[in-house]
Amino acid sequence: MSPRIFLNVFALFCFGIASLAQANVETDPQKQLEKTISSVIDILHDTEARGVEETRKQILSELEKSFSFEIIIRRTLARNWNQLSEAQRDRITVLITDLLIKAYTHELAGADKPKINFLKTDDLGSNKIEIFTTVSYKNTFVSVNYRLANVKSQGWQVYDILIEGTSIVSNYRGQFDEFLQTKTPEQLLELIESKIKEYDK
Amino acid sequence: MKASRTILTAVTVAITASLAPAQEDGLDMEDLFEEDFEETVVPPINDPLEGLNRAIFRFNDVVYSKVAKPFARTYAKVVPDPVEKGLGNVFDNAKFPSRFVSNVFQGRFGNAGKETGQFLVNSTAGLGGIFKISDEMPELQTSREDFGQAMGSWGMGHGFYLVIPFMGPTSLRDFAGDFVDDTVEPLPEPASLIDDDSDRMTLRIVEFTNRLPALMDLYDSMRRSAIDPYVSVRDAYTQRRARQVAE
Repeated sequence: MSPRIFLNVFALFCFGIASLAQANVETDPQKQLEKTISSVIDILHDTEARGVEETRKQILSELEKSFSFEIIIRRTLARNWNQLSEAQRDRITVLITDLLIKAYTHELAGADKPKINFLKTDDLGSNKIEIFTTVSYKNTFVSVNYRLANVKSQGWQVYDILIEGTSIVSNYRGQFDEFLQTKTPEQLLELIESKIKEYDK
Repeated sequence: MKASRTILTAVTVAITASLAPAQEDGLDMEDLFEEDFEETVVPPINDPLEGLNRAIFRFNDVVYSKVAKPFARTYAKVVPDPVEKGLGNVFDNAKFPSRFVSNVFQGRFGNAGKETGQFLVNSTAGLGGIFKISDEMPELQTSREDFGQAMGSWGMGHGFYLVIPFMGPTSLRDFAGDFVDDTVEPLPEPASLIDDDSDRMTLRIVEFTNRLPALMDLYDSMRRSAIDPYVSVRDAYTQRRARQVAE
């Protein structure tokens, strides 16, 4: 094979690899979200024993494909974000991420695999959409809607979840606001830590 | 020289292609933290009785964890799932009159018609409402209406927030609306034939008991993940009602 032909083949190979990589990146936000939720449920219902830390790592890694915890947490803290030191911001980001993962996965980790129905996607305009789903929960259905924004260089990211019409970002924001009116950020961090421990009991 | 140019081109093409999904026309990160980013901002509810409400909330919390929760667990174990579901469907079907009236009061005649359709289908093909056949009929789907929502849609505010012993959160407007709902339902036979107040009360207790396991699970889940469960429940109530009124 002459060097020129070899280089052309190499160029084609590079392009092929890149195209394959692109094919694996899901650009349809609903399909991406479906994949993420399905993977999380599979991890939670996988009978293979793994440690709590390993399960957390795997779930976080899956969720981060569709959920931006950075955006969700900064939005829940809103104006309180600026009152926190750099170290407190880092700590609270890790702690709230943990609390949200525990709260979210606790409901999906029952004896039976929950059924998730994707109903529709509404365009909210200005690069925002809302994906409507229902989760079969015991003998009833709970509506869970995901709001996603198309963020530069990150693609579609969940920035809020609505459970039975209640925005969790707005709900936590109200709680943080009221808590920080009378207490310190350090007390908030301690409270979140104790909440996380309750899940592990 | 030519060789290195070809390699450079190949690598550039590869990088460009792999970056293609990145959304360069998307939102700037900082846009997501602007106040006007919110779809709908629900105004906070007045809570002049917060001290009293918090005390009743704590009382309810003890009742829920010490009495209702153990009872709900036993009920869920003893009563087979299909029976639990069927009972829930029957009571839901029996609330048709208040949903119908609320829709009419809000001028939603299309929804009132769909409610009638659901009631007829579930009462006949669904054997008295045990089976919710209408769930399989997209053309009959509506959002659930009550009189509190009707008053909200006329522009009436909540008044203020209330926590009722044993029952939980409501507002002055919605509490008043409940009385109107109660006078309208349950009308359909055989419930309309029940004159005796104690029999009606028994029916209500059976209905509440049947809903208890699901309610307890939701309450537990909220309580566990909340920083301040009182504020969380008050906000969830306000948001949920605002959404129901807007729908």
